[in-house]
Amino acid sequence: MCELICAFHHHQVGNPGRACIRVIALGQGEDIPVTCLNCEKPPCLDICPTGALHRDESVGMVLVKKDFCIGCAMCVNVCPVGAVTLDLVEGVAAKCDLCEGDPQCVAYCPAKVLKLTDAGQFAKYRMKEFAKFLKCQVGEN
Amino acid sequence: MGKETMSIFAGGYAGKILYVNLTDGSIEKRPLERDFALKYIGGRGFSSRILWDELETKTDPLSPDNRLIIAAGPLNGTPTPSASRLVVAAKSPLTGILGDTNSGGYFSPELKYSGFDAIVLRGRSSSPVYLWVRDGKAELRSAKHLWGHKISETNHLLKEELGDEDIHICAMGPAGENLVRYACVITDGEGAGGRCGMGAVMGSKNLKAVVVRGSQDVGIADPKRFKEAVDAYRQTLEGEVWTDVLRRLGTANLVAHRQKLGIWGAKNFQRATIEGWEKISGEAFRERFLVKVMGCMGCMVRCRRYSAIKEGPFAPTYTKGPEYESINSLGAKPYITDPAIILRAHYLCDEYGIDEQTAGSSIAMAMELYERGILTKEQVDGVELVFGNGEALLHFIEKIAYRRGFGDLLADGTKIMGERLKADYYAIHVKGLEVDASDPRSLPTRALTYAVSTRGSCHLRGFPYIDEFIKPEEAKAYFGTEAVSNLESLEGKGKMVAWSENWVTIPNLMGVCIFAWNRSRSFPMLIRRGLELMNEIFVATTGLPMTKEELYHCGERVYNVEKLFNVREGFRRESDYPPLRFFEEELPDGPGKGSKLKREEYDQLLDEYYEARGWDKKTGIPTPATLKALGVP
Repeated sequence: MCELICAFHHHQVGNPGRACIRVIALGQGEDIPVTCLNCEKPPCLDICPTGALHRDESVGMVLVKKDFCIGCAMCVNVCPVGAVTLDLVEGVAAKCDLCEGDPQCVAYCPAKVLKLTDAGQFAKYRMKEFAKFLKCQVGEN
Repeated sequence: MGKETMSIFAGGYAGKILYVNLTDGSIEKRPLERDFALKYIGGRGFSSRILWDELETKTDPLSPDNRLIIAAGPLNGTPTPSASRLVVAAKSPLTGILGDTNSGGYFSPELKYSGFDAIVLRGRSSSPVYLWVRDGKAELRSAKHLWGHKISETNHLLKEELGDEDIHICAMGPAGENLVRYACVITDGEGAGGRCGMGAVMGSKNLKAVVVRGSQDVGIADPKRFKEAVDAYRQTLEGEVWTDVLRRLGTANLVAHRQKLGIWGAKNFQRATIEGWEKISGEAFRERFLVKVMGCMGCMVRCRRYSAIKEGPFAPTYTKGPEYESINSLGAKPYITDPAIILRAHYLCDEYGIDEQTAGSSIAMAMELYERGILTKEQVDGVELVFGNGEALLHFIEKIAYRRGFGDLLADGTKIMGERLKADYYAIHVKGLEVDASDPRSLPTRALTYAVSTRGSCHLRGFPYIDEFIKPEEAKAYFGTEAVSNLESLEGKGKMVAWSENWVTIPNLMGVCIFAWNRSRSFPMLIRRGLELMNEIFVATTGLPMTKEELYHCGERVYNVEKLFNVREGFRRESDYPPLRFFEEELPDGPGKGSKLKREEYDQLLDEYYEARGWDKKTGIPTPATLKALGVP
């Protein structure tokens, strides 16, 4: 559903091949969604020869200026997670833009496993979980 | 890519049907006509009409003249919730009438992305082949190296050969190669298109698999309207109690329900309840074997299970399922309450490509015949073929797949077994398709649904549960009598069943899963989600003009075409009756104890049903006036 709704939101068609999020099936029931990590030091941005990939300072994200993109696929080559692709129809770089802050994959995820969260907040969440774990350990001893 | 999708349709349809002649290897692309799409929508509508048009009467189902049709619906490939279903159809080698089967997963949307709404195959290849369809192109390739392989091996080999993990595969297994009359097709190793023997038709054509892959858009004519309709549709599902139940337990949630009502067809319909049923309940399977809850493409219900046996003699076994029907056919019918055996048997059926429903029913029938002394130990290969013998079940599943020993007779299904052994009475089928789902002796409207179904006994061809929840005023408005809301009364029930059949055909036309589409215990919700919103999504997707009334008539039209197919094959009123056992023997136990079908009552129900359908009461043949009103043929 995340792939379908992503492609629909950005291109108004049904075609998961054009989605910026992909669910990778690892077999034996394991399916992991993968999308752009919004790196602080994005290799795609550094390598883009035309400036099509740029950081939009107002939202702090790397976005694509389609008109500038020449489809050289250097960004596809350097992305460490494979989250930048060339759009199947337009032939230009495509990556997650978080749907202007309201990611549709999150909104439509039937299992509610996709979430949009800030790295700082996520670290805090992990710390909390770890603190609970420590408490249990202390409690047992 | 984008250019290939240019068609006369503003959205939804790929606009092309692929015709393949396996005898001479010719491949042709034909445009999908607008008028055909408007009248038959897609999926089962396309397949049923094409079978009616292209087949001659009395065509041998396993001859090259039979067609194998693989059809998607207009909503497959769009983000419509649960639009994942595929129809595979042919004249059935098990029943000799119209046959089709329905499978979820990812194949159907991918067929659309590959540029086609349907594939029509005919003829017979001189050597094993598979069909490879990719972005508007198709070729037949040798499948000699795949022949003999089970489903998972076939899928693995194909992915390796084509160098693409994302291909989608509709394959048959060894059972199809050996022309087991109820060999099934399996999509992507997980989604069984089980019933009616479509795998045997593939086998008869020397066609091991159909593989699809595509990158083409499925257009959406009016995206804004589409999103609004889809959001409204999603909302109706989110609030539905059924959605939660299916998510938690899958279709196996029905185990408890069957036990409570006492409507198992256990021990080949000799028992209505099961001792020790808790061991095979949805909860039990969840607790012991569930690895993960899964879903088909774009589904928000997610009833699919992924299970594993990690210890004991059957470890390791990884498989999709089990569904309620696996538990019913491989558990209740042969009276086996060891869940590990059921899961293992289910896994074997999927690997060999056997319909577990007919397999379980056939073995259960043989068990009864053995216990009654109609079959001797020599005839059944020296196996102690008694109810509850799980090893015998596993033993014969393999023998069925390869038609070895007694498996050769089992591989023909209960109807032929009954004829050969002069034991018709113990063959519990309608028109050759075994009774699934439940024992209808205490529920005559279900008996009617099973008996009049156009593919032989089937609980999915109608929705005879409306009387359990419809309010009197709703019953009066829709069916002309408040009596439909009275469970004890049979008045208006024929009309109710006819209505539900037309209505429940709609998701099969669209490519939508009925579990998302029809699960509600509110009649206004059935109308809202099933007709109004479905029509709204269809119109927004395709840009075609359609009202909800017209959509309902599309369902009715398709049902009538299917009936005509069966009439042409010689089936009349007398074949619209449930098995004799349901009239002769009372339910032996459970809440419905003492119930059996009464012939007069059933006659009346059938009369009313035919009248509601506009079919001749004496013969069951659609009248010329009915066909004219529907624009058929």
